[in-house]
Amino acid sequence: MNFSGIKYLTKQGLLSMVRNRMMSIASIGVLTACLLITGISVLVSMNVSSLIDFLGEQNKMIVYLELDAEDTVTEQVGVSIAEISNVASYDFISKADALEQTKEWINEYDEGSYSSVLDGYEGENNPLYNSYSVHVSDLELIDDTATAITALSGVDFVESPSDLASTITGIEKTVTIAGLGLVGALGLVAILVISNTIRLTVFSRRKEINIMKFVGATNNFIRLPFWVEGTVLGLVSALLAFGLVSGSYIWVLSIIEVSGITWLQSIYFSVIPYNTIWPYLLAGFTTAGVLLGGFGSAVSIRKHLKV
Amino acid sequence: MIKFENVKKVYAGGHVALSDVNIEIKDGEFVFVLGQSGAGKSTFLKLILREEKMTEGNITVGKYDFSKLKRKEIPYLRRSMGVVFQDFRLIPTMTSYENVAFAMRATNIPEKEIVTRVPYVLKLVGLADKGNNFPNELSGGEQQRVALARALVHSPPVIIADEPTGNIDPELSFEMMELLVAINKVGVTVIVVTHEQDLAAKFDKRIIYLDKGSVVSDSGEIPQHDYSDDSNDEINLDELMEVSE
Repeated sequence: MNFSGIKYLTKQGLLSMVRNRMMSIASIGVLTACLLITGISVLVSMNVSSLIDFLGEQNKMIVYLELDAEDTVTEQVGVSIAEISNVASYDFISKADALEQTKEWINEYDEGSYSSVLDGYEGENNPLYNSYSVHVSDLELIDDTATAITALSGVDFVESPSDLASTITGIEKTVTIAGLGLVGALGLVAILVISNTIRLTVFSRRKEINIMKFVGATNNFIRLPFWVEGTVLGLVSALLAFGLVSGSYIWVLSIIEVSGITWLQSIYFSVIPYNTIWPYLLAGFTTAGVLLGGFGSAVSIRKHLKV
Repeated sequence: MIKFENVKKVYAGGHVALSDVNIEIKDGEFVFVLGQSGAGKSTFLKLILREEKMTEGNITVGKYDFSKLKRKEIPYLRRSMGVVFQDFRLIPTMTSYENVAFAMRATNIPEKEIVTRVPYVLKLVGLADKGNNFPNELSGGEQQRVALARALVHSPPVIIADEPTGNIDPELSFEMMELLVAINKVGVTVIVVTHEQDLAAKFDKRIIYLDKGSVVSDSGEIPQHDYSDDSNDEINLDELMEVSE
């Protein structure tokens, strides 16, 4: 097909959108709404994942060693912990360090009034345990990791936030499944909407199509304007949805930042910044819009345009 | 050359529209395909344009052998024929110029060729000054000439006119036929599909007479036997009156 042919057909596709403007506006409206909800659900899902990663990083398992464990045993426990595949990192906390940390904690919260309460517990009198602070790679496997560490010789007991871990992984799974379901359902709705618009266009242009057939237009020539129409509808909807989602995201971030609510501000650091996410959003929306538009029109052309 | 060899067409439901049709139309011929309603003229047109597939036999149009014709070749087959439909089939939202140009655009012809060819063809059919008029601003005869210009614009070797006198005045009918004769004189094969025996009789041309799906005569003459009397579709008023009495 030559350039003037493509130019002519593209113009026909755009003109058709203008001619059927009410249907085009309705399609863009529904498609924008679909993309908007899809975009929001993807953003929520991504931010929940980011929050879960953030919370996961805050979670650590404390491995308390037996009170009478020799230094060699303590070192051996460290080596064995390092060999467990789910262990991301670990730090040794000696009983002396633990005592210092406890003193600092008391000083911080009681402004020094009880700072002397732990005096005399240094050295041989220190009642605290030597321990390892262990971070895991996969929160879901935290129970298995804790069991493996508990079985090590020289380990007295392990404190593991298994309930929190299972809750967090449960939330992550639910958000992912719900997000995927929503995206799938809305994608289907979008295809149906585009397909219906193109079907009406095919119907309104049936006379033209019939003439095209008899003057020897190729199938691709007949189909191209409909494909252009569907794709442009998808693209316009994608750009509208991108604008709306971007505006809403920036607005929500500004609210969290200045809210003064402690828990909101504490999650602010785990929220994905707009500057990081916008290129992905734009690429995602335009790709989804163009694909949905193109696919929707292809479905309708195949079904209703007998060429 | 257009060739029908033992062509049979049976529609879904068992209706036999054409049966054992053998026709050969040579390049540059002027042929009337004549027949009453239900004789098979529409099916003949549909088959030749590959709108419908034959049930048996074979059709050849130029280099296109229908028994071997691929789906993607159909547009190119249709480009080798210009068709003037009874109802003209003009796009009402396009001017005469645009209607003719549309046929060229649909076959991917560059714009610079369109801007020179369309005014030339409109002039040929006597509509040089009507290029900017929409179909509803033209008379029936003028609309038909726009349709003819559209059919001619590709310089096809074959022009098919479906009931060319069906929607216009008798004087204009004759003018249209004169135009088709003139086109034929430059070597274009012309096939006129019509039910009007009087019209065909005015021209000394080959007449293929169809009746009930078969070729009953193929000559320059209209057969003496009036086949229309045999048609079950026709209501015989005299008989009806007799029964009433």
